[in-house]
Amino acid sequence: MADETPKPTAPVPKTTRPLSEALLNEKWDRCLSSFLVKSGLGLSFGVVFSVLLFKRRAWPAFVGTGFGAGRAWEECDNSFKRATTPSKDGLRVIRP
Amino acid sequence: MLRASILRARPALRPIAPVARPQWRVAQRFFADEKNLGDTVVPNPAPSVTPSNPNGPKPTVIPSSSVPKTPPAPETGRSAPVAQPATTPPTGPGNASIAPDPQAAKPKKPKRRLRRFFFYLLGLSVFGYAGGVWYSLVSDNFHDFFTEYIPFAEDAVGYFEEREFRRRFPGRAGQPRLHPQISGENKVTIPSKAGVSPRTADEGSSDLAAKGPHVSAVEHNTQVTQHAEQTPKPKKETPAPVPAPVPAVASTPAKPIAQIDHLNTPAAGEPIVQDVVKILNDIITAINADNTNGNKYDSALEKAKSELGKVVSDISSLKEGLSKSAEEKIQAAHSEFDTAAKELVRRWEGHMHEQESHWKEEYENERERLSKSYKDKLQSELDTANKVYEQRLKNQLLEQSISLQNNFTTSVRDRVEAERDGRLGKLNELSSSVQELEKLTAEWNSVIDSNLKTQHLVVAVEAVKSALENQVTPKPFVSELAALKEIAADDPVVSAAISSINPTAYQRGIPNAAQLIDRFRRVAQEVRKAALLPEDAGFSSHIASLAMSKVLFKKSGLAVGQDVEAVLARTEVLLEEGDLDAAAREMNGLQGWAKVLSKDWLSEARRVLEVKQALDVIATEARLNSLLID
Repeated sequence: MADETPKPTAPVPKTTRPLSEALLNEKWDRCLSSFLVKSGLGLSFGVVFSVLLFKRRAWPAFVGTGFGAGRAWEECDNSFKRATTPSKDGLRVIRP
Repeated sequence: MLRASILRARPALRPIAPVARPQWRVAQRFFADEKNLGDTVVPNPAPSVTPSNPNGPKPTVIPSSSVPKTPPAPETGRSAPVAQPATTPPTGPGNASIAPDPQAAKPKKPKRRLRRFFFYLLGLSVFGYAGGVWYSLVSDNFHDFFTEYIPFAEDAVGYFEEREFRRRFPGRAGQPRLHPQISGENKVTIPSKAGVSPRTADEGSSDLAAKGPHVSAVEHNTQVTQHAEQTPKPKKETPAPVPAPVPAVASTPAKPIAQIDHLNTPAAGEPIVQDVVKILNDIITAINADNTNGNKYDSALEKAKSELGKVVSDISSLKEGLSKSAEEKIQAAHSEFDTAAKELVRRWEGHMHEQESHWKEEYENERERLSKSYKDKLQSELDTANKVYEQRLKNQLLEQSISLQNNFTTSVRDRVEAERDGRLGKLNELSSSVQELEKLTAEWNSVIDSNLKTQHLVVAVEAVKSALENQVTPKPFVSELAALKEIAADDPVVSAAISSINPTAYQRGIPNAAQLIDRFRRVAQEVRKAALLPEDAGFSSHIASLAMSKVLFKKSGLAVGQDVEAVLARTEVLLEEGDLDAAAREMNGLQGWAKVLSKDWLSEARRVLEVKQALDVIATEARLNSLLID
């Protein structure tokens, strides 16, 4: 019977949108990974600089790590802040 | 170690370093190196640049500048420390040669620098000018800019353009290209007096320099007043002698003649005589006025007067004769007229009598003729009226006979019809009763049909409901819904209810109550984590919320308050009670991150509610249909 009747509406496209309750978790995952990657990058840069220019001092490595971590923090902060406000893509903003 | 390897890796520097500048290796230090100079620099103690300042040679600088002019020439002094071989030992502090150098150069430097500056400036400006000229020949845009803003650039560029033009067209070398604009030859000058000029026609008054009314109006006035003063003088002189002789002339001869004049007046009734008297009087006055004659004309005048009296008397006698004859003539004419009038009257009377008799005759004739004609007319009219009346009577008779016949036929037909209707009426009654019976059976059939339909509908609704409740995981229920729609066929309420369901609901399926509660618990955990987040939360506040939510006390039951924890507790209770609608309402009241996190669950709950509502509507419709039939 179902086969005979035509479908009344267009089929709903299957989306890969994550579930809303997993939204925050996903953000956390992303943050952690970016934190790891960026601080690792910073650390490696710091080590290279310390060896090349600063006579194997310890502080360039710490500074590099700090830069990486700070960047990751900033990015993460931004992503959290942007998430609650609805996106304004495609909307025209009229200022008084 | 690494440093050594770098040095080794640069082969180009290696040969230069020791030969040309032995101190270079010493100078190359890293900022990270510790300054333990004493240990490393020993092998090559070359004189460095640094020792001049820090060793405290200041007291020695001042005497050295003042004392020696004998030491080496200023040209070599500058390069001396560089050329000094490395092997020579430092002879003293070495600043003896360096110190005098700047002092000797100082007085010359500013001059040379100024000169050089000007020289460079000149060179640069010339070069720039030349470049500008050249580029303006190349680029039109730059040409415009250059010629407009740089002084004398137009002439310079024009000169070069002219040269190039001449080179290209040697035939026309004599005439410059731009000559009409620049040289301005062949100018046509129009004389200032060319053309027509206005001029007044009056030649005499053209001399405006002369005095006149146009210069001053006052002078003219004074002249006029002078004229006015001059003219009255002779007038005053002349009238004085005139009055004297007039009374003298008028007095002497006027009196005797004036009396003579009056004598003729009583007879002068006639106009002609009056005229003659007037003429005479005029003559007398004229003679009176002329006193030179004396009484020369008196006799003549007397004679004329007597003559005039005679003429007047003649005229009066003539008048009398004439009047007498005229009276006689009038009386004769009166008598004649009387006789003529009498005769005329008599004649008129005769004529009147004749006329009267004639008219009487005519009148009689006419009267007879008119009476005759009227009689004829009367007769003919009477005839026609009679005819018409007879005709009308005949017509009435005919009509009456026709109506009688009609009455008869209708009565006959009525009788026949009445007889027939008695039987046909019975037949009609029978057929109508049969039709009613048919209708009744048909209605009963439709009742049964609709009953069946509603039954099908109810069954279909029940099938959908059971399919939704007995599923383990959300399954699409398109087929059940399609069956329902097909059974309902043309019911607008059912189709509206089905179309109100979100297509996602029946294509993906909706969870049943247990699944919904299960998912709610999962969602609640996440929401609890984000329960303490402020409005615009950053990374740090997220961390804080995550940590603090672990130590929050859980609420349970129908908690009071609008905080997230209370809302979650209330929703859970409502869900367990099965009140999905109220639960969805509670969750919808959340704000911020909590709302964002619970959005999916909320939409799912809404879809479930929609489906539930639609099914309820369809079931109610089915029930209503079953009630409406009877």
